[in-house]
Amino acid sequence: MDKLLKHSDCRNFAPVDVAKGICRIKNELIFIDSSVCNKFVTLPKCKNCSNFVPDKDHMGTCKGFKDNYWAYEENIAVTCEEYAVK
Amino acid sequence: MATKRAKLEEILAEKGMPINFQYGGKAPEQMVDREVKKQPCPRVKKLKDLYFQTLSSATVEFPYWYTRKYQELEGEIPVVRRAAALKHAFSHLTPTIFPGELLVMGKAHYYRGSFPMPWLSEGYFMVKEDELYQSALNKGSASADELSKFGTGGGNVTKSFGDVVSIAGKFGMRKEEIPALVKLAKAWVGKSVDDLGHKYEQMIPEYQMKENIMKTLICMFDSGYTLPQGREVINYYYPLQYGFDGLIEMAKEGKARVAGRADGDGLVGMDRLYFYEAVILVLEGIQTWILNYAKEAKRLAGVTEDAVQKKEYEEIAECLEWIAHKQPRTFREALQLTYTIHIAVLNEDAISGMSPGRLGQVLYPWFEQDMEAGRITEEEVLELLECHRMKFTLIDCFASMGVVGGVLSGNTFNNLSMGGLTRDGKPATNRLEMLILEAAMRNETPQPTLSVLYDEKLPEEFLLKAIECNKTGTGYPAWMNNQSAIQFLLNQYGPEGMTVEEARAFAIGGCLETSAGSWMPLTLNGKKYEIPGGSGQPTSVGVHFIANPKVLELVLTNGKDERTGIQVYPPHNKKLQTYEELWETFKEYYEMTVDCLTTTNNIQHDIWRKNNMAVFNSLLKPDCLSKGHHIGNLGYRYNATFNVESCGTVNQINALTAIKKLVYDDKKYTLDELKDALLNNFGFKTAAEVGSFSLAEQEKREDGDKYDEIYGDCLLAPKYGNDDPYADAILKEYEDWFCAMCRNYESLYAKPLYACQISVSTHAPQGAATLASADGRLSGTTYADGSMSAYPGTDRKGAYALFNSATCWDQTQSQNSQMNLKIHPSAIKGDEGSRKLMDLTRAYMRKGGFHIQYNVVDSKVLKDAQKNPHNYRDLMVRVAGFTQYWVEIGKPIQDEVIARTEYEGV
Repeated sequence: MDKLLKHSDCRNFAPVDVAKGICRIKNELIFIDSSVCNKFVTLPKCKNCSNFVPDKDHMGTCKGFKDNYWAYEENIAVTCEEYAVK
Repeated sequence: MATKRAKLEEILAEKGMPINFQYGGKAPEQMVDREVKKQPCPRVKKLKDLYFQTLSSATVEFPYWYTRKYQELEGEIPVVRRAAALKHAFSHLTPTIFPGELLVMGKAHYYRGSFPMPWLSEGYFMVKEDELYQSALNKGSASADELSKFGTGGGNVTKSFGDVVSIAGKFGMRKEEIPALVKLAKAWVGKSVDDLGHKYEQMIPEYQMKENIMKTLICMFDSGYTLPQGREVINYYYPLQYGFDGLIEMAKEGKARVAGRADGDGLVGMDRLYFYEAVILVLEGIQTWILNYAKEAKRLAGVTEDAVQKKEYEEIAECLEWIAHKQPRTFREALQLTYTIHIAVLNEDAISGMSPGRLGQVLYPWFEQDMEAGRITEEEVLELLECHRMKFTLIDCFASMGVVGGVLSGNTFNNLSMGGLTRDGKPATNRLEMLILEAAMRNETPQPTLSVLYDEKLPEEFLLKAIECNKTGTGYPAWMNNQSAIQFLLNQYGPEGMTVEEARAFAIGGCLETSAGSWMPLTLNGKKYEIPGGSGQPTSVGVHFIANPKVLELVLTNGKDERTGIQVYPPHNKKLQTYEELWETFKEYYEMTVDCLTTTNNIQHDIWRKNNMAVFNSLLKPDCLSKGHHIGNLGYRYNATFNVESCGTVNQINALTAIKKLVYDDKKYTLDELKDALLNNFGFKTAAEVGSFSLAEQEKREDGDKYDEIYGDCLLAPKYGNDDPYADAILKEYEDWFCAMCRNYESLYAKPLYACQISVSTHAPQGAATLASADGRLSGTTYADGSMSAYPGTDRKGAYALFNSATCWDQTQSQNSQMNLKIHPSAIKGDEGSRKLMDLTRAYMRKGGFHIQYNVVDSKVLKDAQKNPHNYRDLMVRVAGFTQYWVEIGKPIQDEVIARTEYEGV
C-alpha cells in the first residue's frame, strides 16, 4: 500500500485520539502512523476532493463553495455536501 | 541545624511542637484500601479501559467551519451571524461511533475530543505560533516507544511526540492541523472577546491596578473570555417536552408575532425577531448533527459482521432519528437526548461546570413508564447510567492553560444533584436516584460528580445509600444543605420574583454553586409531571478568585508585591498601630480589588453578550423562548448570578489571628519584626527550591535559625478549626463583612454581586505566589483548600470542634462554603462506620454548615501513588468541589491532598 497513507485516512478506522484508533475490521487498537492494510477504504478528506487545490503546509483552497475559502488537506469531509472524489 | 536538610516536620518535633496530620485514632501500619468496591458492567469496563488509554485530543474541525461561515456573513445581525456559524459547524462535525457504545455523540470526532474557540481568545496561539509551527514541522519518528510513554499525566499530552503537537501540556493535536490552527487564530485577532474586551477594559481609570492584580496573581483569571458560561444548571425541559421540531415551530410563531414590533420596549423589543431566527438556525444545525450520527450508525450497521453490534447500531440510528425531531418515547431516548443537549451546549461556548442538575428527577417520567410497561429492567437502566458516566467523563474543556490546569485541574464539573424537595415541600428523591448512586459506585469516574441536597425530610434508605457511595472513596456525593441554599436563593433572587416553592427547584452548578431553578410542566403519554431545571445565568462569572492571604500580605508591604516588585495598590503609608487599623486597611485594599475587577469583568462579559452570546443554551432556559430574548438581553428568569470568589480564607483568618495575638494583644513582636520574618520565609527555603508545596516537607536554610522563636509562636497561635473563640471571632467578623461587601458591586446586568467561597484548584497557584503568612504557612506553599477546611494539621480537637468553628457565622449569606474532610477507611468501616459518617454529616448540616465532602483514603496510598503513578491510573481523589484522577492533577495539589489532616476515627 501507499506509504503516505495513514490509518486515519481509512474509513474503517475510528479515531480514539491523536495517536491511535480502533480498526473496525480487526477490532483492535492501532496507531495512526503505522502501515495500512489491503482492506483500506479511503476516508473522504479535503485532500481527496476534486474541489481542493493544494498549496503548502497541508493547506489549500476549497473551490466547492462560492466563498473559495482556504481549507486544510486533513479536514474530514464525510459531512461536506460539496465533496467530490478526485 | 546539623544536616540543614531537615524537614519542617522533624524540626518542630525536636522542639516539642509536632505537626499532627492525623487525628482521632491510629490507622493500621499497612496501606488500607477503600471498603466499598464494585465493578462496572462488561460493556462499560471495555469503554473505560479504552478511556484510560486515551489522550486528550483537539481538532480544528468545529472552529474551521464556524469561522468560515462567520466570515462569509460579515455585516449580518450579530446573533444571526453567530447562529449561522454554529449551524454550519454542527452540521459539518464528523460523527464517530465507537464499538460497544449505547449512548453516542461527542464534542469532536475523537473519543476524548475537544477544540479551541479562537473567537473567545486567540492570543495563546498567536504567542505560541512559532513554537507550534516548529513542533509541527519537526519530522516525527512515531516509534512505538514514543507512543507508549503516556503514563504520566493520565490522558494529558504533556509533551509533543511523533506527529502529535502538545498544546500547553494538556491537549494533543495532529501536526498537520497546526497551520490551520494558526490561520484560524489570525482570523480572530482584534475581534475575539479577549481582544475586544481588552481594548475597552483599558478605558477604566483603575485599569493599571487590575493589570497588576492579575500579574501578581491576587486574582486568578478573567471569566469573560476564558469560560464565559458555566457553574450553572442546564435545563433539558423544552426538547424533552416539545422535541426539536416543536421548538422550531415555536420560534417560527415567535417570529410572526414580533416581527417589526417593539411592544413597548424601545431598547431591545425589536431584537426578538433576530433571536427567534437564530434559534431556528441553531436548532437546524443540531438536528443535522444528530442525523449525521444516525447515518453513521446505519452505515456501520451495514458493514459490521457482528450480529449483536449490528443490532445495536440499528437501535442507535432509530433512537437518533427519533430524538432529532420528537419528544423521546423511552428512558433510553430521553437519556440520549439529555446527553446530546449537554454536548451541544458545551460546543456552543467554552464552559466549565455545566451541570445536569437533578437528572434523576428530570428523567423519572420515562423511567417510571418504561418500568411499568416492562420495557426496561433496572439492570438495563444501570448499564445505561454507567454508559452515561463514561460519556460525561470523556468531556474535555479547551480553555486557556492557566484556567484548565491552574483553576480546573482538568476537571469539567458536571454536577448531578439528588434529593432536595418538591415544589410542595415533599422529599424529591426517587428510585432512579438510587440507581444513579449504584451506577456511580459500579462505574467510578470523575463525571458527573454527585451532590445530595440534604434535607431532614429525605428518607434514611437514600441517605445511607449515599454514605455507602462515599465509602468507595470517589469523593462523591458531596453533601449540600438544602434549607441553607433555599434561604440564600430567596435572599439573592427574591427581587426577581423567586418564591420559596421555586427556590426548591434549585440544584448545584459546578463544584458547589447554588444555582436557581424552576419547575416545568411535563406531559408524557397524557400523564402530567413537574420536573426541575436551571433557570439562572452562569455563576462562573464575576470576580474570580481573590487570594485573601495575598491581599493581607500587601497590607503589610504597603501595597507592593515583593515577589515581583510591582506596586499593586496605592501605598497606604499607615503605621498599622492597632489591629483595627490593619483590618480597615485590609478591607480598603480588598474593596479596591473587587471594584476594578468588577468593572473590567463587566466589559468583557458585555463584549461576550454582544458578539458571542449563547443561543442554544438560552433557548433551553426559561423564559428566553417566551420572551424572545437571549441571555444577553435578560431572557433568563434569574439574572443576579455574578459573584465574588475568594480563596485562602482559612490562611488569611489564621494569619490575622496570629498578628492580633502576637503583635497587638501580647505585644511579643513588633509588626516590623513579623514582617521581617515573613519576607525571609521564617528562615526556610522557598517551596519551589524544595520541590514540594506541602508545609511538612519544607526545609530550613543554613542561616535560618534566627526566626525559630517567632516561627514557633506563629505556629502555636490560635487557629481556625478548634472551636477557639479568639480565632472564630475573626472569622465571623470577616464573613459578615465579606458577604455584605460583595453586594455593593453591580454586574453588567445591574444586579448585586454576592459571595462565593470555593477554591477549585486556585489554592495551589495562588499559594505559590504568596509569601509566608503569619499563621506559619511558608512561602509558595499551597493554601488550605475550600473555605471552611482547616489548614492541614491545625485542627487538633476533632471534627465537631471544626464544625463549631465553621458555623460561627451565618452561612446562608453566601452562595456556598466548602469543607473537605479526609477520613481513613478504617474509621468508618462496616455498618457502624456508615452510621458514624451519617451522624457526622447530619451534625454539620444541623449546625448550619452548607457543604461537606469526604476523601475516604489512606494517606499512605496517596504517597505511594505519587511515587508510582503508573500503578494508580484509576485512583481518584476529591480535590475541592470535584473528583479527579490522581495522575491528572498537578503536584502542588497532590501535596496538599496528602497533607490534609487524616481523621483516623470519627
